[in-house]
Amino acid sequence: MNKELEHSFVELLEKHQNIVHKVCRLYTNNYDAHNDLFQEITIQLWKAYPKFRGDAKFSTWMYRVSLNTAITLYRKSKRTINIQAFEGVEFKIKAQDYDDTEEQQLKVLYKAVHQLNDIEKALAFLYLEDKNYSEISENLGISEVNARVKMNRIKKKLKTILNP
Amino acid sequence: MDELDLLKKDWNKPSSNTNKVSVKDIYAMLHKKSSSIVKTLFYISIAELIFWTLITILPYFTSGDYQSKLDAILPNNYVLIGLNLFSYGVIFLFIYLLYKAYKSISVTDNVKELMKNILTTRKIIKYYVLCNMVMIFISTIAGLFYSINHDPKMANTFSHFGNDKIFIFAIIILVVIGVVLLIIWLFYKLIYGLLLKRLNRNYNELKKLEV
Repeated sequence: MNKELEHSFVELLEKHQNIVHKVCRLYTNNYDAHNDLFQEITIQLWKAYPKFRGDAKFSTWMYRVSLNTAITLYRKSKRTINIQAFEGVEFKIKAQDYDDTEEQQLKVLYKAVHQLNDIEKALAFLYLEDKNYSEISENLGISEVNARVKMNRIKKKLKTILNP
Repeated sequence: MDELDLLKKDWNKPSSNTNKVSVKDIYAMLHKKSSSIVKTLFYISIAELIFWTLITILPYFTSGDYQSKLDAILPNNYVLIGLNLFSYGVIFLFIYLLYKAYKSISVTDNVKELMKNILTTRKIIKYYVLCNMVMIFISTIAGLFYSINHDPKMANTFSHFGNDKIFIFAIIILVVIGVVLLIIWLFYKLIYGLLLKRLNRNYNELKKLEV
């Protein structure tokens, strides 16, 4: 691949890297796993970049490739397996954790979002990124109505995790 | 305001980015190897093609005895020639189908489409393995009956057997081949099960939404 293409890609990714970090933050729960996923997303973005056409926004294109990598393509590396094994363990958050200070509330909220499954996380992620339901449904390949229904269920699920 | 909206306020703050990556780091990452599930599946399918092709042709090239016997039979036996051509046809058909399936996997598709295409690819590999197993099963049985009827040594041995003994012998052979193939099949189930566990789970979750 030519140097010019590589250069333009690296510049764009450096500028928009926050999107990838947010995906990594949602789908991993430690530093090593975060970096591992970040690297895999970068590789996938780079492999797909020659086909990227300027008619879509780079960031919009990044959302899709990043989510696809996190949900579908990424195979957790060995060093992250032990920690990831806890992913499926449901744990209720104690009521006293959920106190009034905003910082504490946010911490607990992040913990709760981590308990969602991969698909729910994708919906939550796009919602947090201010995407409308048409964009959410397009990214996941489900209908808009179903995206809405699922989103409401996720909100309810978060409420249950937070207020057991 | 619900919980997610509260989180949204914090989510887009620039300060929430803690692991900023430099241009130099990104350059380095571009040259690292991917560990994606598609790549693993690709290597597995190549291994399958080589393994099952070798299984089909190796006995012919490694055993002179087998080769000379087969060479003696082949020109006159249209069933065997047909079977041989069929098995090469199957190999080429699967190479073509796999190539098409891999071409259709695109990381820029939507999540559901991408998952569907990966699972289709896996299905093609599965059918290839299954097809080979059926062919091995049939050709072993056919080979056995052929040698009982045409190989003087075998025919001589079997002429001392009563009908009931031949029947028991056939059953034993069938069961042994069946069990060996079953073990190979379960081994595949386990490998693919482990590799695609998460993908299957997520795909089912998406499908469940559409019901």
